[in-house]
Amino acid sequence: MTQAAESIVEVKEAVKRFPAPEGGVVTALDSISLKVQQGQFVTLLGPSGCGKTTLLRTISGFEDLDSGAVLIGGESVLGVPPYRRPVNTVFQNYALFPHLSVSGNVVYGLEVAGIKKTERDHRLKEALERVGLSGFERRKPAQLSGGQQQRVALARAIINQPKLLLLDEPLSALDRNLRQSMQLELKSLQHDLGICFLFVTHDQEEALTMSDQVVVLNQGRIEQIGPPDLLYHKPATRFVAEFIGDSAIFSGRIQNTEASPVLVTEDGLGIPVGRGPKPGDHATLIIRPENLSLAPPNPDDSVSILDAVLEQSVFRGATHQYVCVLPNGTSISATPTGADDEAFSRVSPGDSVQLAFRRNIPHLIIESQ
Amino acid sequence: MKHPWLNRLLSVHGLLFLFFVYAPIIIVVVYSFNSHPVNMMVWKDFTFDWYLSIFGQPTELNEQTLYVESTDQLLAAVKNSLLVAGTTTTFSTLVGTAMALAVYRYYFRLKPFYQGLLFMPMVMPDIVLGIALLVFFVNFSIKLGLMSIIIGHCTFLISYVFIVVSARLAGMDNTLEEASADLGAGPWITFKRVTLPLILPGVVGGALLAFIISMDDLVITYFIAGVDSTTLPVFIYGMLRRGVKPEINAIATLMLVFSFLIASLGLYFRKRS
Ligand SMILES: Nc1ncnc2c1ncn2[C@@H]1O[C@H](COP(=O)(O)OP(=O)(O)OP(=O)(O)O)[C@@H](O)[C@H]1O
Ligand SMILES: [Mg+2]
Repeated sequence: MTQAAESIVEVKEAVKRFPAPEGGVVTALDSISLKVQQGQFVTLLGPSGCGKTTLLRTISGFEDLDSGAVLIGGESVLGVPPYRRPVNTVFQNYALFPHLSVSGNVVYGLEVAGIKKTERDHRLKEALERVGLSGFERRKPAQLSGGQQQRVALARAIINQPKLLLLDEPLSALDRNLRQSMQLELKSLQHDLGICFLFVTHDQEEALTMSDQVVVLNQGRIEQIGPPDLLYHKPATRFVAEFIGDSAIFSGRIQNTEASPVLVTEDGLGIPVGRGPKPGDHATLIIRPENLSLAPPNPDDSVSILDAVLEQSVFRGATHQYVCVLPNGTSISATPTGADDEAFSRVSPGDSVQLAFRRNIPHLIIESQ
Repeated sequence: MKHPWLNRLLSVHGLLFLFFVYAPIIIVVVYSFNSHPVNMMVWKDFTFDWYLSIFGQPTELNEQTLYVESTDQLLAAVKNSLLVAGTTTTFSTLVGTAMALAVYRYYFRLKPFYQGLLFMPMVMPDIVLGIALLVFFVNFSIKLGLMSIIIGHCTFLISYVFIVVSARLAGMDNTLEEASADLGAGPWITFKRVTLPLILPGVVGGALLAFIISMDDLVITYFIAGVDSTTLPVFIYGMLRRGVKPEINAIATLMLVFSFLIASLGLYFRKRS
């Protein structure tokens, strides 16, 4: 790898504060740094109000930073107005021009740029074909379904061949089925075009399905950046673990010896964990449903046991989800597969069960003192 | 609804309402074709003579029943009215639209106060406005004439245009302008290709409203018109003071037709957007 893997967009320690009408300030971006490399699909994931839209708007040029910098193609875009930035946006509400037809909307950027009519027509045809809207040229946006409007917004942006496409929750207005098929289409479109997508969502499933890199934001700060599987298996913080995937999370202090550490939660639950933490460390254990099964008859040292009561089993298509309750009242889910699922399915709700997981599998976040 | 009689009462109410509003107007139109020379409320024959006489054409009417003494005067008044309405409409549409855009786009400290001030001329009694303008013009030795009428009309018509265009802007999705900028269009192109087409029905509506109001304003104009700058409403008012004669019906009918044409133009624009 050489330095040639140049970043298309780089955000450096961006800080953005808004004056709150109630008084005081809202820190929408709190020292955000991130890079988007050539050809990547990067997702900004986070709960409502965490600053995703604000971050996009500082890149597209609609908001100025209080401090920090945005670099596009290696150059600072400080003071460059939105219409001179080589990025295009798919807006959350699509923002299609209601007075223009589909083709009028799609070629808008080319017309403004003064591209010749023959080339415009050629690129219009190509763009509409890509998003599957050939034949809709003369319709007005009001005569299209939500999904079709979304495609027009997409075609209108990609026809300009931007270096970076910003998408602000483009799928949130669509129903579940359409949404899932659009997810796959967007992903393959991005692959075919080879341009970077910076995609905003607050839906973790969407983020995991589509992205090369996921940036998890919380209250204007980056919690973690990484590929989806890393975020899922090795979340850096409790927030990431809670936000991504189902899990049972236990925080507490490590006790016992370094050779066989035990995590003791505040309400006195002791869970033996894998090696790594030292006694006295503060740690958070993240147990995913697929890590859990019924305890074998005579478990060895490599598994930990949790006593629980089965509350209900939920049919999940290929498997079941078994919802259990621990003695301290926390609920914990298991989704075993194969023979383990079969064994579990013979337990009836209300019965006591022994849940087991391999000690070195669940992720442990250690905060040494 | 439960009670049929309630329904019937509502229909009757509706009909009565229409009757009160339109009956006088219909009577004016009908009697503008009545040839009875003395009592215009007694129907005699159908005739176009009143219309002809307004325009100074020879008719079979007895000289003394006519009271447009000089068609030239009438036409001059019409010309003055059109000139005043045309100029004020152009000016107040430009200024009112620009102000609406500025108030929509920018936040400044006294904005609510400023908006309130812009609403004021709409609720201010005409008499007050007329007197105020007259005093102003006299104090600053501005000669009363077409110019003073134009300035006077602009002072309140700008408000009308401002309010109509502001209403249109309030309904506009402001991400559209951002989308345009995002696609590479600078402020001027964005205005020309996105903002203006979207607010155009409001601008046209405001302009037509301004035109009609300016055309038939009597009270304010009466105060600030000079001797040689009589507008049509002022002229008609002057005629009335010498007794109601049938020709007035013909003039009123023509003005009515003209107003309807302008209103239909407005509706047409609204439909198209
Ligand atoms: N113009 C503004 N004035 C004041 N506060 C603002 C402004 N824009 C955003 N904020 C605040 O900044 C924070 C981040 O807002 P932002 O729109 O970026 O959130 P988001 O992550 O996009 O949320 P969502 O998922 O709901 O769209 C919020 O607390 C919001 O209230
Ligand atoms: Mg947002």
